[in-house]
Amino acid sequence: MRKDDVSLDNCLKCSDCNTACPVVTAHPAYPGPKRLGPELERMRREGIECDTDWLEYCLGCHRCDLACPNEVNVSELIARAKASHKKTPIRALRDWWFARPGLLGKLLTIAPGISNFSLRLKPVRALMSVFMKITPERTFPAYHKPLPAGLPTTPQSSAEANGSARVVFFPGCFIQYNQPELGCHALQLLQFNGFQPEVANSVCCGVPSLANGNPEEARKRAAANVNNMIDAVNAGARIVTACSSCGHMLKTGFADLLEGDSALAKKAEKIAANTYDIAELLVLQQDAGKFNTQFQPAAAPLKLAYHAPCHQKSQGIGRPWYHLLRQIPGVEIEDLNAGCCGMSGTFGFKEEKYPVSMEVGSELFAAVRASAPQAVVTECATCQMQIVHGTGVKAVHPVNILLNAYKAGARP
Amino acid sequence: MESNHFDVIVAGAGISGITSAAAAASRGLRVALVSTGPGTFVLGAGCVEVQEMDRGTPSLEEAINFFRNLTDLAGCGFLGGIGETHYIPTILGSFQTVSLAPFYMWNGEPSESSQVAVVGIKGLSSFDCNFVAERLAYYTTKLGWGSTYVARDIELSTESGTVPGTLQFGNRYDRDLHFREELRDALKPIAAKANVVILPGILGLRSGQSEIEWLQKELGCLLCELPTLPPSIPGMRLFNRLEARLRKVGVEFFTGFPIRQLQIEDGRCKAVLLETPARPLRLSSETLILATGPFSGKLLGAYSAGVNRDLHPVNAAGEVLANNVFAAGAILRNSGARGGNAMAILTGYISGMLAAGVGVQYAQR
Repeated sequence: MRKDDVSLDNCLKCSDCNTACPVVTAHPAYPGPKRLGPELERMRREGIECDTDWLEYCLGCHRCDLACPNEVNVSELIARAKASHKKTPIRALRDWWFARPGLLGKLLTIAPGISNFSLRLKPVRALMSVFMKITPERTFPAYHKPLPAGLPTTPQSSAEANGSARVVFFPGCFIQYNQPELGCHALQLLQFNGFQPEVANSVCCGVPSLANGNPEEARKRAAANVNNMIDAVNAGARIVTACSSCGHMLKTGFADLLEGDSALAKKAEKIAANTYDIAELLVLQQDAGKFNTQFQPAAAPLKLAYHAPCHQKSQGIGRPWYHLLRQIPGVEIEDLNAGCCGMSGTFGFKEEKYPVSMEVGSELFAAVRASAPQAVVTECATCQMQIVHGTGVKAVHPVNILLNAYKAGARP
Repeated sequence: MESNHFDVIVAGAGISGITSAAAAASRGLRVALVSTGPGTFVLGAGCVEVQEMDRGTPSLEEAINFFRNLTDLAGCGFLGGIGETHYIPTILGSFQTVSLAPFYMWNGEPSESSQVAVVGIKGLSSFDCNFVAERLAYYTTKLGWGSTYVARDIELSTESGTVPGTLQFGNRYDRDLHFREELRDALKPIAAKANVVILPGILGLRSGQSEIEWLQKELGCLLCELPTLPPSIPGMRLFNRLEARLRKVGVEFFTGFPIRQLQIEDGRCKAVLLETPARPLRLSSETLILATGPFSGKLLGAYSAGVNRDLHPVNAAGEVLANNVFAAGAILRNSGARGGNAMAILTGYISGMLAAGVGVQYAQR
C-alpha cells in the first residue's frame, strides 16, 4: 500500500474522499474520511486526545483512497487509529470473536449440524442480541465441514495435469468454513483452465481483525500465512484467491503489517507479487490463448447483474469477472455500479451498526430491484449475504456461473 | 487480443479527458479512462467561457456541439453556445461571464423583469444570502440590468449532532424524498414572491434533469444553483452524470491508481503502467491521450516542450516524442494554450477524434 508519512501533507482538503464515502452518503452524522483521516491524524500525532467513537464506523472500503487525487492513504490512517478506541466490555467481547473468524469457524464446524441449528433458534439470537450486541435481524451463514488443505478431492488425471502450472488456492475463512463447496468449484475451475491447484495450508487473512481494531491479531495471522505459503511461491507457484477481501489483504496488507520484521516483510512482498484473483488469473490465461471456452449450450437465457465488491475495486485489476462472464453463451450481464453494499464483513452484524449498514446498501438494493436479474453475481461472500438480505434476490459467486457453463450450460 | 488492450487510453477524468473518451467512444473505439480523482469538478461547476478563445478556432463549434449533446444525454444539459455571453452569479456576489453553463445555473442571468430571491440556509457557513443579494443588487443597478434582489433565509432539518453542510443536503436530496419535500415547503413562500430563486448548490450529487425540474415545477419559479466551497455539489453531480454516461457507452474505468510509467519504444507509446497493489497493471493501447491537468504533466518529463498542430507533445527541437500520444486540456497551459474549459473541450474532442483517425486540426494560437 502507498504508505509514507508525506501522504498526510498531500491532503488538499478537496473533499473528494467525503463525496465518495458510502457512510457519509448514507449517514450524515459520520464526520467522514477527511476529518477522521488526515485532519485528526495531525492531532493524534501530537498526542492530542481525539474522539474515537466514529472511527468504528469506517467500513474499510477504500473508496476514499481511490477518490483521492493526491494519493493520501486516507483509510489506512483511520484503520491505524481504530485500535485506540476503547470499547464497552460487551462490544469488546463481541469484536474479539469477530476478529477471529478462523477460531469461530473451527469451533462451529466441530459439529456443524448443532451449530447451524442453534444459530437459527430465535432465543439464541435474542440472547446474542442482548449479550453480544449482534443484530437479530440477520441470520448467520451456515457452517460446513471445512475444505481440507492439500490436493483437491477430485484429482486431475496425469494427462490433464501434465505441463499445467501449479497454483495454491487461498480459501479464506468464509470458503473454508461456510462455502467449502465453492472452494471445490474454484479448484475445478482452475483444473478446467489448465492449472494444477492445491489448497493452501492457511489461516484467516486478517481483514476481520484489522476491521475490528485488532492489528496485533492481524499481524499474527499474516505471519502464519506468509510462513505457510512462502515455500510454494519460492518454488514458482502462484497464489489464487476467490474472496476479494482475502485477495486485497494478501496483496496490500501483509507487508505493511509485518514491516517490523524485515525478513518476513520481504517474504510478504513476494507473496503479494504472486497473488492473483482467480478471475485475474483466468484473464491472463485468456490472453495466453489458454482460457477454456468449451461452454455447454444454455437451456435458457440467463440474466445476471454484477456487483463489484469494494475490495475488488481496491485491487486495481479492472473488471475481470464481468468480462469473463459476458463470454458465456446465453448470459446477459449488467454491471450495477451502485456503490458499496454496506455489509463490510462483520460490520453489518453489529447491532448498533445494522441501520447504517442497511442505509449504505439501499442504493445497491434499488439498483438490483431495477435490474431484476435472475441472480446477482459478486465475488464477496458478505456482499452476497447483504444483497440477499436487502433484496431477496439470489446472489452467487461468479465461479459457480462459469463452472456451470462448462458442465451443464449457464444457470444461476 | 489482450484483455487489457484498448484502442485508446485516456489519462485524466476532468472535462477534457471525459470529452476525449466520449469522442473516441462515439466513433466505436474501445476506450479506457484512467484517473486518480474526479478532476476539478469538486471545486466548481464546469461553466464554459469561450471569450478567451478565437471564435473562429477550427473545430471549436463542432467540439462544443459534441459536448452539449454529451451533457444532454447525461442528464446534465448545458445551455448557451459559442459567441454568446451570459452573466451568471457567483457566491461572492459577482457575475462571471460564460458562454455555456449547466441548466441548473442558467436561470441566474439578470433580466429586466426578474425578481430574484437569494436563499440562504440557517447555519450553512459557506453561503451568505445577505452578502450575495446586496452585491448582486449593487452590480445590476450599476450596469442598469433591472433585476431586483432580496435575501431570504430558510431553515432545514439536519441530522442530530451535525451542522448544516452542502454535502449532507446534497446526499439527502438524492436519497430522501421527505427532504425534497421539506426543501420545497421551505422555499414555497419565498418562491411565491419571486420569479427566480438562487440557492447554494445542494440539489443532489446524482440527480438528473427530472429530479431538479421537479422542484422547479413544484415552486412555479426558476431555480439557479451556485457551487459553494468544496465539495461543489453541482460539480460532483456533473462528474457523476458524465461518468455514468461513459460507462453506459462502454468506456472502461480504471480509477484510483496513477500512471507511473509510459512504455515508449520506437517513437510509439506501447503501454502505460498503473501503480496498482502487488504489481503494476499494464494497459496497452494504440493511442494514449494525456489529459492529466497542469500539475501532473510530469509523465512526459522535462522532454516535453509543448505540442504541435496535431496535439503531439514535442521536445525542444520540435520533434514528436511519440506519434501515438496526444495531449489535451489544462496540461497544454504549460505550452501557452489559453481558454479554460472551452480549450479543455476543444482539445479533448480533437484528441478523441484524432485517435479515431478523423482528421481535425488543432490550430494553436
